[in-house]
Amino acid sequence: MISFPINERQPKVDWLLICALLGLMIIGAFFVYSATMASESAALTAWYNQAWVRQIAWYIIGGCGMGALCLVDYRILARWSLVAYVITILCLIAVPIIGVDRFGARRWIDLGVFQFQPSEFAKLSFILAMGNFLSRPLDELKLMRVFWKAIGMIALPFLLIMKEPDLGSALILLPVGLTMLFVAGVPPRYINTLVGASGILVALILIDVLFAPPQWQIKLEDYQKRRLLTYFGIDGASANATPAQKAEARRAQRNYSYNVDQALISVGSGGLTGKGWRDGTQNALGYLPRAVAHNDFIFSVIAEEKGFMGSVIVVALYSVVLFTGIRIAGQARDRLGKLLAVGVVAMLFSHVFINIGMNIRLMPVTGVPLPLLSYGGSSVLCSLIAAGILQNVYIHRRS
Amino acid sequence: MIVFDQLKKNDPYLRALTLAVLLGMGILVAGLWWVQIISFRHYTENQKSQSFRTVRIPAIRGKILDRHHLAIAENRPSYNVNLYLDELREEFKKEWSRTRPPRGTKMTLAQRRALEAQARFRVASNSVQQVATILQQPIPFTFEDFMKHYASQLALPLPILINLDQQQVARLLEGSVNPPGIDLDIHPTRYYPGGSFAAHVLGYLVRDNRSLEGEVADVNFRLPDYRGHVGIEGEFDAELRGKAGVKSVLVNSLGYRQSENVWMPAEPGKNVVLTIDAAIQQAAESALQSAMAGSVRGAAVVMDPHTGDVLALASSPAFDPNLFIPRITTEEWKRLSDEKLKPQINRAMQEKYMPGSIFKVVTGLAVLEAGIDPNEKIWNPGHIRVPGRNRPIDDLAHEGEYDFKKAFIKSSNTYFISNGIRAGIERIIGLGQKLHLGERTGLLSSQETGGDFPKLVDVRRGWIAPDTAYICIGQGRLMVTPLQMAVMISSIANGGKVLWPRLVQRVEPADPNSDETVIEFPTKPPRNDLGVSQRTLEITREAMLADVEEGGTGKEALVPGMRIGGKTGTAQITDPRGQLVGHTTWFASCAPFERPRWVVVVMVEEGSSGGGTCAPVAAKIYRAIQKLETEGRPSVALNTP
Repeated sequence: MISFPINERQPKVDWLLICALLGLMIIGAFFVYSATMASESAALTAWYNQAWVRQIAWYIIGGCGMGALCLVDYRILARWSLVAYVITILCLIAVPIIGVDRFGARRWIDLGVFQFQPSEFAKLSFILAMGNFLSRPLDELKLMRVFWKAIGMIALPFLLIMKEPDLGSALILLPVGLTMLFVAGVPPRYINTLVGASGILVALILIDVLFAPPQWQIKLEDYQKRRLLTYFGIDGASANATPAQKAEARRAQRNYSYNVDQALISVGSGGLTGKGWRDGTQNALGYLPRAVAHNDFIFSVIAEEKGFMGSVIVVALYSVVLFTGIRIAGQARDRLGKLLAVGVVAMLFSHVFINIGMNIRLMPVTGVPLPLLSYGGSSVLCSLIAAGILQNVYIHRRS
Repeated sequence: MIVFDQLKKNDPYLRALTLAVLLGMGILVAGLWWVQIISFRHYTENQKSQSFRTVRIPAIRGKILDRHHLAIAENRPSYNVNLYLDELREEFKKEWSRTRPPRGTKMTLAQRRALEAQARFRVASNSVQQVATILQQPIPFTFEDFMKHYASQLALPLPILINLDQQQVARLLEGSVNPPGIDLDIHPTRYYPGGSFAAHVLGYLVRDNRSLEGEVADVNFRLPDYRGHVGIEGEFDAELRGKAGVKSVLVNSLGYRQSENVWMPAEPGKNVVLTIDAAIQQAAESALQSAMAGSVRGAAVVMDPHTGDVLALASSPAFDPNLFIPRITTEEWKRLSDEKLKPQINRAMQEKYMPGSIFKVVTGLAVLEAGIDPNEKIWNPGHIRVPGRNRPIDDLAHEGEYDFKKAFIKSSNTYFISNGIRAGIERIIGLGQKLHLGERTGLLSSQETGGDFPKLVDVRRGWIAPDTAYICIGQGRLMVTPLQMAVMISSIANGGKVLWPRLVQRVEPADPNSDETVIEFPTKPPRNDLGVSQRTLEITREAMLADVEEGGTGKEALVPGMRIGGKTGTAQITDPRGQLVGHTTWFASCAPFERPRWVVVVMVEEGSSGGGTCAPVAAKIYRAIQKLETEGRPSVALNTP
C-alpha cells in the first residue's frame, strides 16, 4: 500500500483514522449540544459548565493523550502493561470502598477535579496486558496452563466490574478477550469449548433469572433483572399473583421499558432525513429522559434529528475506524502490535454494536457508551487512548 | 476499498474478524433501515399521538340577516378568563421546593404525588384569588375541579370565569400586570341583538361539540360548540355552522402545553338572508303584544301576496334565544315549557286553529262560483236550522235580508250555511284542496303542522248536513294555521295564484369577496291555481274592503290613507262535552285594495272577537307599513328592548 520507505524518526500517522475520529468528535460536540441545550436550565449555566464545552475539552485532552501515547513505542508500553493491569485491579477493588454513588451504582472514583470510572480504563489495561501475555511464542499458547491463565486474566476484572455493578462494561471484556485469544492463535478447540461453555452459562443465567422460582434465582441487582425482563418482554409477575399485582408488574415493566420505547420512537420518527438539528421533539419535550439523552441514548438524538442518512454516516465513520484498525493489525510489525490493534477493534466494535443495538432494541439496555459521541470524560479519554494505541501500532508498523 | 483489501489478505484470523465486523455493521444498518425507513410511519404516529393533542375549534357561525341585510342573529366577542397551567410550571416547582417535607423523609409515591398536587393547587388558587380581588367578586375554584382539569385536559387552558361583562373586562384590563398564568381570551359567541325578536323564526342553539360530516372527527379535545335546534338556526344549521377547524397542541412528556399550531383553519359559516323585513316584524310583534292585557297567545303573519315572501312571522309569547347561550338554566327552561303559554311553539305555523268566519272567504268563493247571484237576498231569522241537528245554529248577524256583501261584512252564518249547502260541499272541499289546506307549506318543516281538512272521500261516507254547515262557517272538522290563511288571502289578492311561502332568499358566503357561490332560493312557481273567475275574486275583494270601510265587523282595522280589505273570524272553542270554553279570534286582510301588496293575518287565542281583538292589531301593522312607505326606513340596528 505505502510504497515509499518509512523514516523511523518522522513516522507517518494514519490520516484516514484521524479524519474519521475528527468526524465523530464534531458530530459528538454538535449533538451533545443539541441533547443538553433543550432544557432551559442547561442554557442558563455558565458556558464553561455546559456539557458540549466540557465534551470538547475532553476531546482536546484525549487528543493530547493520544499524541503522547504515540511518542512511546507500544512495545515499551507493553512492558508496563502488567503494572497498569495491577493498578486497575486495585482501583476496581477500591471502588466499592472509596467510590461514589451515581444513578444507583458505584462506579466512580472521585479525584477532586473529576470523577473517573476505573472500569473504562480497565478495558484498556486489559487489552495491553492480554496482548503482552498472548504475544509469547505460539507453542506456549497451546499449553492448557497458559490458556487458563488467560481465562483468569479475563475473569478477574470481569467479576470485579460485574460487582460494581456495571454489567455492560464487564460484558465488553468477553468479546475483546475472546477475539484476542482467537487471533493470537490459541487452538480453536479451546476457544470453541470456551464459547460453548460461556454460551451455556449465559443461557442458564437467563433462564434462571427469567423463569426460575424466586428462591432458586441467583442474586442479580434489581435493575439488571428489570432490564433483562424488559428486553424479553416479560412482566415478571408470578403465575399466582393477584390481578392488582399483575397490573403493578406490567406498569413497572412499562416504566422500565420507557427509555427503550422512547428511543425507538426517536429513531423511527427520524425517517430518511430527520427533523433537523435541534428540531427533534423527543428530546426537547422530555420524552427521551434528559438524564440519558446525551450519554447512553445520544444515538437516538442523532437518528431523530438527522434521520437514516445521519445514522448511516455515523455507522460508516465507525466502520472506517474499525476497518482501519483491522488493516493496521495486518500491517503490525509483530504479534503484540497485531493483538493490541485487534483488541482495540474488538472493544470499539462491541461498544458501537451494543449501544446502537440498544437504541433500536436489538440489544438489552446496558450502560455502554457510544465511543466519542456519548457525553462523558472517561469514555472519551478511553476511546481516544485506544485510538492512540492503533496509531502507535501503525507508526511502528513493518516497512 | 479498505474492506476488500483486507478480505484478500491471507491472514485467516483477520479475514474472519473483518467479516464479523462487516456483518455486525450490516446488522446495524439493516436494523436502522427497518426502524427508520420501513417503520417510519408507525413511529411517527406514535410520536405524534404522544406529543400532540388535537383540539376542535368551532367555526364562526354565519349571520341571519333580514331582507335589507340587517343582522338579526350575529356574533359578539365573549370574554373568558383562562388559567394557563403551563405558564405556572416554574411557580409549581418553587412552591413544591418551599413546602416539601425535608429531603430524606420517608413517603410513598402516592403521598408525594398528593403533596405535589396540593402545592400546584395552592399556586393556581392564588392566581384565581388575585383575579377575584381585581374583579371584586368571589370565584368558585375547587381542588376537585382543578385536579379533574389537570388529569384530563392539561393541554388546554382552565377556564375560571366565562362571559365577563364590560365592567369586569375593564377592571381586568386596568391592572398593569395579570396574575401569573391568567389571560383574557376572546371568542365569538352567538348573539341575538333583538332579544326575543323573531325568536320563533330564528330558533335557538343547543350545546353540541360533535363533528359534522367532512370534519376531522378524531380529536382529543373539543371546544364548546353549538348546533341549531329549531327555526332557521336548526333548518340551516349545516350552512350557518361552517366547518370546524383543528389545532394541534404540542405537549411535553408531562402533558403541559408547549406550543400551538393550527392544522386546519375553521371555515366560517355562511350568512342566511331571510325574506323577513325587520321593521315590519317589529311592528307585527309589538302590535300583537298590544292585542289584549296580559300575555297574548297569538300570531301575526305578513306576506307579500305576489311572491309569497314572508315579511313578518310573529308568535306570542316569545322567548329570548340568548338564554340558551352558553346553557339555559333549569328555571328558564321550566318557564319556556309552560303548558298553557307554550312560548316555544310557533303559533303562526306550528299550532292549528279553527278558522271560524275567515273561512267564509272560501265558502263565498264557492257560492259565487256556483253561479249564485251575489245580489240575491236571503232572510236571516237570527238562527238557522240544519237538518239532522236538533238545536239551530245561532247567527250573530241581526235578523233581516242579506245579500252576499251584507252577509260577508256582517258575517251572517245563515247566508253562508244555506248558500254553502246550495253550492255543495264538494265545491268547498275542492277549493280547500287547491289552497292545500291540511297540507304543510314546507316552511321550517320541523315546526310546521299541516292542519286538518276533509277530503272528498270523507264527504262521501258518513257525512251529514251539519258537517257541511259547520265547514261553511269555518267550524267543525277543519283546522288551519295563520300561515295557511295568509296563503289563502294572498290567492284572493293576487288573482288566484296559490303560492309557496318563502322565508329564505339566499345563503351567501360570510366574506362577500370570496368566490364561493351564493345559493339563491328564488320564488317558486305557484303551487296551484284557485281556478275561480276574476269576477268572483273582485266581488270577494270588494266585500272584504266593505267589511273594513263600510262598518263591517272589521271596521276597527280602518287606516286612513290605506284601503284595507279583510274578514274577521271568531271561532268557538268547545270542550269535549260541547261547552263553550273560548274563542279563537282572527283577522285576515290585504291592502291596498287597488293592488294588494301586503297580506296581514292576525290570530289571537281566547280573544274577545275577531273585530275587537285582531282587527286593531292589523291596523297597527298597516300603520307601521304606511309609515315605512312614506317616511322611509329607519336605519337603526336592532337592540334588546
